[in-house]
Amino acid sequence: MTCLRPAAVLLACIAVAAPSTADAYIGPGAGFAVLGSFAVIFVTMLLAGASLLVWPFRMLWRAIRRRTKSKPLVKRLIVLGFDGQETTITERMMAEGELPNFQKLAASGCYSRLRSTFPSITPVAWSSFTTGTNPGKHNIFDFLDRDPRTYLPRLSSTEIGSVDKVLKLGKLRIPLAKPSIRLLRKSKPFWTVLGEHNIWSTIIRVPITFPPDKFYGAQLGAMCIPDLLGTQGTFLHFTTRPGGESFQEGGLQFELRANGSENSFEGTIEGPENSFFEGNPPMTLPLQIDVDRENGRALVSVNGDSLELEPMVLSEWVKLSFKAIAGMKVTGICRMMVTEMDEHVSLYVSPINIEPEKPAMPISHPGYYCSYLEKKLGSYATLGLAEDTWALNEKITDDHTFMTQTTDIDNEREEMLFTALDRLRKGTLVTVFDATDRINHMFWRYTEEGHPAAEGIEDPDYAHAIENQYRRNDEIVGKVMERLGEGDVLWVMSDHGCTSFRRGVNLNAWLMENGYLALKDGANPSEPWLQSVDWSRTKAYAVGLVGIFLNIKGREAQGIVAAGDEAEALKAELKSKLDGLMDAEKGSVAINDAFDTDKLYRGPYKGNAPDLLIGYNHGYRISWDCASGVVAGSVFDDNTKAWSGDHIVDPRLVPGIFLANHAIDSEDPAIIDLAPTALTLFGIRPLAHMEGTPIVDKDRFKRS
Amino acid sequence: MKLLNDLLRPVFDLLQSPFIGLPAFVGILVWSIPVGVFALWVFGKTSNQERIAEVKRRIFAGLFEIRLFNDDLRAIMRAQGEILRHVLHYQALALKPMIFILPPLVLVMVQLHQFYGFRGLRPGEEVLLTVQLAPDSVEAGRRPEFSLEMPPGLHAAMDPVWIPSLHQITWRLGVDDWGDWDLAINVDGTKFSKSIRATEELIRLSPERPPSNFMGQLEWPSEPPLDEGGAVHSMTLGYAEGSVGILGWDFEWAFAWMVVFFVLTMVVALVLRKPMGVEL
Repeated sequence: MTCLRPAAVLLACIAVAAPSTADAYIGPGAGFAVLGSFAVIFVTMLLAGASLLVWPFRMLWRAIRRRTKSKPLVKRLIVLGFDGQETTITERMMAEGELPNFQKLAASGCYSRLRSTFPSITPVAWSSFTTGTNPGKHNIFDFLDRDPRTYLPRLSSTEIGSVDKVLKLGKLRIPLAKPSIRLLRKSKPFWTVLGEHNIWSTIIRVPITFPPDKFYGAQLGAMCIPDLLGTQGTFLHFTTRPGGESFQEGGLQFELRANGSENSFEGTIEGPENSFFEGNPPMTLPLQIDVDRENGRALVSVNGDSLELEPMVLSEWVKLSFKAIAGMKVTGICRMMVTEMDEHVSLYVSPINIEPEKPAMPISHPGYYCSYLEKKLGSYATLGLAEDTWALNEKITDDHTFMTQTTDIDNEREEMLFTALDRLRKGTLVTVFDATDRINHMFWRYTEEGHPAAEGIEDPDYAHAIENQYRRNDEIVGKVMERLGEGDVLWVMSDHGCTSFRRGVNLNAWLMENGYLALKDGANPSEPWLQSVDWSRTKAYAVGLVGIFLNIKGREAQGIVAAGDEAEALKAELKSKLDGLMDAEKGSVAINDAFDTDKLYRGPYKGNAPDLLIGYNHGYRISWDCASGVVAGSVFDDNTKAWSGDHIVDPRLVPGIFLANHAIDSEDPAIIDLAPTALTLFGIRPLAHMEGTPIVDKDRFKRS
Repeated sequence: MKLLNDLLRPVFDLLQSPFIGLPAFVGILVWSIPVGVFALWVFGKTSNQERIAEVKRRIFAGLFEIRLFNDDLRAIMRAQGEILRHVLHYQALALKPMIFILPPLVLVMVQLHQFYGFRGLRPGEEVLLTVQLAPDSVEAGRRPEFSLEMPPGLHAAMDPVWIPSLHQITWRLGVDDWGDWDLAINVDGTKFSKSIRATEELIRLSPERPPSNFMGQLEWPSEPPLDEGGAVHSMTLGYAEGSVGILGWDFEWAFAWMVVFFVLTMVVALVLRKPMGVEL
C-alpha cells in the first residue's frame, strides 16, 4: 500500500490542476481501472434491485408451494461428518483428554456409537444417512455393481451415458445431444424434503451426490465425481524408466523422451477422449521438463505455462486445457511433482480433477455453486476420492506427499464449511471431511506392530498421523462450537469406523477351490475382471468389494443356477461354509458371518444387491486381486500395500460415532435414524418410507 | 514542454497523414489499437496482477452470492457491501499502473484532439477570433491599439469589439475560400500571429494559441506559446466541433472522438488481455 499513496496523491494533483478539457484525456487510462469495477457495480445494483423487487413475489410463491407449515424446533442444524472416524480411537483419546471439544460436546449433549449400514462402507452408509432408508430402498450396495450381461464391474452410483445421435462431417462428429448423467441412488434425500418446506440446506461433499440433487439449497458433489479421464482417479506417471503402461490400481505410465539433451525431456499428457472425432482419440497436451540437477530444480512446461518444481514437492493446482475442436476446450486441474531427477527423471501428475470454475460435468447444485466456491477459495479438489491413495499404494508418491495432499484438501473443506456456516441463518449445513478415512486407510500400518505393510516404513513421525487427524477434527469442532447460537444444533458423526487390513481374502479363489467357480480350459487365472471364468460351470462369483453373487439363470447372461429353491440352497450352503471361515496360516477366523441379503434388506431394489454379504473379521478384507477380478493365487495373502486399514468388515465391528449438543432418546442410534431425526427437528414428520427412527423425542426436545 | 511539443508535432502530423482523406472513425480505430496494446502492456507490467486476480475473484464471488442467497435480504446486502469493498480495493490496485499509463496517453490524446476534436472552416462560414490580453497590460480606462491584417480568402464580418471588463478583443471573420493562413494581429504596436485553416481534410487545427504556462502548452500544442509577460495572454479561434460518423450516425461533439477512442481502446485491451496474459 505504501507505493499506492504517492500514486494517489499524484493522481489527485493531476485531477485538481488540469483544466476541464484535460480531464477527458484521462479517460482510457482510467478506463482500465474503473470500467470493470463500474460494470460490476452496475451489475450488482441491477441484481440487488431485481432481488429486492422480486423478493416479495418469491416469498409468496414459496409460501404457496410449501406443502405444510412446519414448526421447526431448531434454527440451524449443522452436521460435521468425519468419514471413517473410529470409535475405539475416539473414545480412548477422549478419555485421555486429547479431544477437548469432543468431550465438551459430549458433556453438553451426548456421545454414542452409531450403527453403520450393511456393508459399512462410505457410499452405502452415507446414502442411508441421506435418505433414512436401508440399501434395499436407496439402491447403493457397494462402490461397484456388476453388469449381469457381461459380469464386468460398473460404478454403482452413477451412470454416464454416451451420445448416440451425432452429425458426421468427414472425420468430425458433432454430438446432437448431451450425454446423460444419472444418479443411481434412489429414495429422497432429507434435504429435498426440507426444501419442500422452504428450509434451506447447504450440503458439502456428502458422498453419492453426483450428479447433484436438485433442491432448495446448495450442494457440492462428492464421491463418484470422476476425473477428467472419466475414471475414479487415475494418476499419471511420466518417466524415463522403461516399463509397463499401467499400474494395478488407478495409474498410467507414460514415457519421457530426451529432447536433444540430457537435461530436457518431453512427453504427452493424454486427456479425456475427444468425442468430436471418430474413434474418440484422446485430447493431448505436450509436456516438457527441463532439469537443473545442480540447483535441484525442474522447469515443467505445459499449456504455455511453466512452473518450477523442486523434487518431491507438490505444485499448487495447475490448469490443463485440452482443445477438443476450435473454440472448445475441456479444462482440468492437477498437481505435479518431480519424483526423481538423477539418472532417471520422473514426474507424478495427480488425477486431473474437473475444474470447478467452469466444470465439464455437473458437480454442484445450482450449477454455479462450484464456481462460487472457486471464486471464494481458489481452485480445489473436485474428484470424488480426491486423495490419491493409488499413487501411494503403487509407491509413486510417498507418505509425506500423500499427507500434504490430504491436509490441503482438508483445509479446502474447512474453508468451505465456514464460508457456508457464516452465511447460514436458518436451515441445515452438512459437511463431510474425508481426511480421517483416508489417513486411517493409509497410515494404519504405523499403528500396529507386525502389520505386513509396516515393513520398510518410511517415517516414524507418521506413527501418530491418525491421532493427529483426530485432533485436527477436534479443532474444527471447537471452531464450529464457537459459532453456535441460540437454537443451533450440532451433530458430529462418522459413517463407520476402521480396523486393520492385514490379510486379503480372495473369494473367487475360495469359490474355485470349493468347486463353485470354474475357469475356461487353458485360461490364465491372472486375467483381471473374471475374464478367465467359464460361466457355464460357475455357480457363484465375487465382483465389487463386499459380497458374492450367484450365477442365476435369467438374471445373469450365462446363469446356471435356477432362481428359487436351488439358489436358496446354494446360498445356504455357501453361508454355512463361509461363516467362521478360518485362515489356517494365521490360526484366526477370517470371516465372522456371511449375511443373506434377502433377509438383510427390504425394498424394491434389494434384487440388485449381492446375494451374500461377507462380514470379515478384524484384520481381514477382500484381497486386492479379488477386487480386480483375478482368480489366481491363494485364498489368503498378506496385504503389503500402504492401504493398510479398512472397514469392509462385519459392520458390527466398525460402528461410527455420534455426538450432539443435545440429549438423545435412543440407546442404540443408527446412521439410518439421522434423516428422520433431522426432519423431526425441523417440525416435519418423517416420510412413510423412511425406516430410521428419530433419536429425539419431539416433546422432550422441546422441553429441554 | 515547448521542446516536447515541437518534437511531437511533426511526428503526429506524419503518423496522421495516411488518414487525411478518410472518415474520422477509421483513424480513431487504427490509433486505438497500438494505444490499447501499449496501455495493456504497461498495466500488466506495473500492476500487482496476482492481487488484482484475487480481488476480481472475490467480486465475482459476491455476485454469485447475491444470486445464490436471493431469498435472504441480509445476505444480499452483505454481499453488496463486500463487493463494494473489493471494488474499492480493485481501484486502489489500479492506481499504480495508471501513473505509468496516463502521462504518455495524455500526450497522445492531446495531439489527437487537434485532429479529431474540431473541423476546419468552410467558405461562407463565420468564426470568432478572441484575443485575450494580459490583465496588467492595459491600464483601466484605456482602450488598447489593435488591428488585424486580413489575408485574401477571409474578410471581417463586423468591426472588432473591445470588452474592457474581460480584457478581450473579438473579431468576427468571414471565410471566402479554402485556405491555410496566418493572421497577423497588432496590439499596442506588437505583432502576434495565429493560424487559421479552411479545409475539409482531417488535418491539425489550432483552436488556441496558448499562453506560456505548462497546462496551456500541454492542452494546445499545435502552435508555439505566446511570450510570457507579453500583452497577449492567448488567442482563441472558435472552430466548429469535430464529428465522428458511426453506422450512418454523425456525432458532432468535440469529445465524441474520445468516447469512441475510449471504447475502442477498451475493446482492444479486453480482446488482447488473454493472449497478452494480462489480468484487467
